[in-house]
Amino acid sequence: MAMHGRNVANCDGTDLGTEVAKRIAIVEDEAAIRDNYAAAFSREGYAVDGYDARQPALDAFESRLPDLVVIDVNLKDDVEGGFELCRELRARAADLPIIFLTARDSEFDAVSGLRLGADDYLTKDISLPHLMARVAALFRRLDAMQRPQGSESRITRGDLSIDTERMTIHWQERPVGLTLTEFWLVHALARYPGHVKNRQQLMDAAQAVLDDNTITSHVKRIRRKFHAIDESFDSIETVYGMGYRWISD
Amino acid sequence: MNLRRQLLLVSLLTLMLPWAGCEFIRETEIALRDGQEHMLAGTARAIASSMLRYREEFPARDTAFDTRDQLYVHRLESRPKIDGYFDDWTLTEDTLRSIRGPDGPVRFAIASYAQATYLYVEVSDGKLVYATPQSILVEGASRFADRVTLVSSSPPYLREAISFAAEAPGRIISYKQSAYGFEPEPTISAFWQDIPGGYRVEARIPSGQLGTHLGLSVRNTTDPMQAGTRSSSFSGAAPGPAMRKIAELDQVAGIHVQSDMRLIVTDANGWRIAAAGELGAGQGTRAGSALVRRAYDLLVESGKEAAFAEPDPQGREQQPYISAALEGREAGSWFRSFDTGAAIIAVAAPVTTGDEVVGAVILQQGTDAVLSLRNQGLSRLINLTLITTLVVAAVLLGYATWLSRRIRALSIAAEDALEGESLTSALPSALADDEIGDLSRSFSWVLQQLGEYNEYLRSLASKLSNELRTPLAIVTSSLENLEHEPLNEASLGYTARARDGADRLRRILSAMSEASRVEELMTHVDPEQFDLRAVLESTTIAYRDVYENRLFSFTCGTDSALANGSPELLIQMLDKLVDNAVDFSSEGDTISLTLGEDDDLLLIAVTNPGQELPERMRSQMFDSMVSMRGGENSRHLGLGLYVARLIAEGHGGSISADNVDGGVCFTVKLPRA
Repeated sequence: MAMHGRNVANCDGTDLGTEVAKRIAIVEDEAAIRDNYAAAFSREGYAVDGYDARQPALDAFESRLPDLVVIDVNLKDDVEGGFELCRELRARAADLPIIFLTARDSEFDAVSGLRLGADDYLTKDISLPHLMARVAALFRRLDAMQRPQGSESRITRGDLSIDTERMTIHWQERPVGLTLTEFWLVHALARYPGHVKNRQQLMDAAQAVLDDNTITSHVKRIRRKFHAIDESFDSIETVYGMGYRWISD
Repeated sequence: MNLRRQLLLVSLLTLMLPWAGCEFIRETEIALRDGQEHMLAGTARAIASSMLRYREEFPARDTAFDTRDQLYVHRLESRPKIDGYFDDWTLTEDTLRSIRGPDGPVRFAIASYAQATYLYVEVSDGKLVYATPQSILVEGASRFADRVTLVSSSPPYLREAISFAAEAPGRIISYKQSAYGFEPEPTISAFWQDIPGGYRVEARIPSGQLGTHLGLSVRNTTDPMQAGTRSSSFSGAAPGPAMRKIAELDQVAGIHVQSDMRLIVTDANGWRIAAAGELGAGQGTRAGSALVRRAYDLLVESGKEAAFAEPDPQGREQQPYISAALEGREAGSWFRSFDTGAAIIAVAAPVTTGDEVVGAVILQQGTDAVLSLRNQGLSRLINLTLITTLVVAAVLLGYATWLSRRIRALSIAAEDALEGESLTSALPSALADDEIGDLSRSFSWVLQQLGEYNEYLRSLASKLSNELRTPLAIVTSSLENLEHEPLNEASLGYTARARDGADRLRRILSAMSEASRVEELMTHVDPEQFDLRAVLESTTIAYRDVYENRLFSFTCGTDSALANGSPELLIQMLDKLVDNAVDFSSEGDTISLTLGEDDDLLLIAVTNPGQELPERMRSQMFDSMVSMRGGENSRHLGLGLYVARLIAEGHGGSISADNVDGGVCFTVKLPRA
């Protein structure tokens, strides 16, 4: 049986009538990191389960699914164990938020992870506050999905409409499947059309530490997703040497 | 001196072979010629001893006269017309003997045909004085005229003189002066012809009128009252004995002579007293091809000019080998004509009775200049030697060239591979099983090792950063957690510093993995066509904002600057170059960006004023983890320019750095779209 470092939050789920603490599972083979993340999540009021390998995690999820899973790609000798785990979880629960948190920063790994249905792919460079912000945002989105759509949280820019509550984006009334980072980037750009956003501003908006190449590839991916809906999409303009801006007709 | 030249020099040694061949040919020639000369000398000796039987026919040695006082009577082959012309004499001009006169030379010849003796005299005379009735008689009455006198005597008898003087040009009457007086001689016919600058006399005298000794004297006067000057063919009071061929000996010589040989018999003074035989036309037979012939001609020792072998035109044989024979020594000589290839071997043997040399026998044989060519076997051997030598030399030369070409090719390929830092294809001669093959394989091995090492270096940075990322995450997440614990003032300071350090470490790791991320990005970038000019203009503006204490200028020297690739990556490359330029310039300096063209290439140049690049760094400054910066600027790991190079090369271009006047210029060459 795998270890079950269960760091339970201050409000236990047995207390009916009060809000049940969200349960986060961390699958990470490096004990020090796992414990640090667990401590941080606990502090934010989440219930945390830690696992050091794929199989113990799956066994535990058999009886009860957590509300959010943070997975490392490389699990001990199981080099791609994280990907495998993500695939199986996604098969079981389509809406379960899954975040990859890994030391592997190659573009190829990121694409593979997101293609498997992860909601975000983060490198271990990310700071704890940023991580917390993302987790909170994912939960917020999940909650917003439960509620009927409110028009007050909607921003419209021509063909683009942004639901800041649900963190969804529609282009010509069709949903664009963006990750959290991508959503924040588009949101930052489209909020003030015509304004050039430089890399630092985009980084702050996306709650992440990203280098030039990562931003470039994020923008590429965003454009590709819009293109999949609308061949003629060209609202994100590169201002060479400075950044990007949103062009609204 | 390169290997090719060295080998060429060594192959020059093969020229020893033709040299040895030439020496061989030369020595063979000399041996063959010696052999022939020996054989000829034997024959000459035999003839000389048989000549002794005609001992009494040889003229007795007369010490009373000098040979210079003697005349030679040539033999004519046809009867000349007495008309004052020499051209119907069957003699050449060379036979004319010359004595000194006051107005120039007096040239004359005496010859015999049938029972007559002929005289031809050519006198240079500035002023002709014709005879008058008073002066027509010999030396009479103190009146003088220009006159030719033939003096003749048969000691001990008194001498006679036949005098030719003219009252007018044309047929003249000659007078004979003897002990009995002075009278016209009707049996003598003579002709006097004036010519510019002198006169000519031709005369026929019945042989009976003349004695055994002959001499010629010419009187030249300018005034009938003056005696003028007398020139003579003899110095004493009386002329010496006239020399001529002796019929008996001539006949004997005719018996001894063989075909293609010439036999000459001389008396003790070298006067030719018998001659027989001619050197045949066979002397010029040329065997072998013209080329081989010419080569041989050059090789064979050159003899004396062939003309010297001819019988002396004035009757007295004076060639050194004949003189030697007349002194009692057998001698030989070698003549050849370079033009015709004809050659003559000549030997002279003395004819002696007791200690006295009475004459000499000269035997000449015409031959081919290159005797060895007459010997088929030998000539083939020599030809083969020559050809073999040339072939060997050529093959050696070719081999040397081939060898040096292989080594050069290997060296060039090795240099190229070294430049490119990896072995893209097999080196030349890699499969050869000789030493060059070994060398090639060693090179390949070394280059491969070097390539692997470079590959290791390249991946080291990104591997290291990946490995360090996890422990760094432990540190940062621990610190972030720690900040939520109650901490006193001092602890907060420490954590802040630790956060700072961790942050710096993170940036370093990010820089270290940048190269591998760029490489990865390059592999699946979607190339787009874009205007490089617009990109540069826009980035220049951006740089002005970022680096406030530097000035930036942008100039464009091309009309169309469409490029293919990723503008973002190119900007990243520019960022590296500009960052570098900023670091190596000082506050207020102008960094200039230029866009130019060179045929189908676009040139981007980033120039900054400042310190020049050290020469040794120029080739490796674009390599991974090579930094020119000093220790104080620690955030640089020497990866910036390496990333710039990766991007430039990923776009099918190249990057280089040069020192310009008071600064450094980085140039990126990119292909046009």
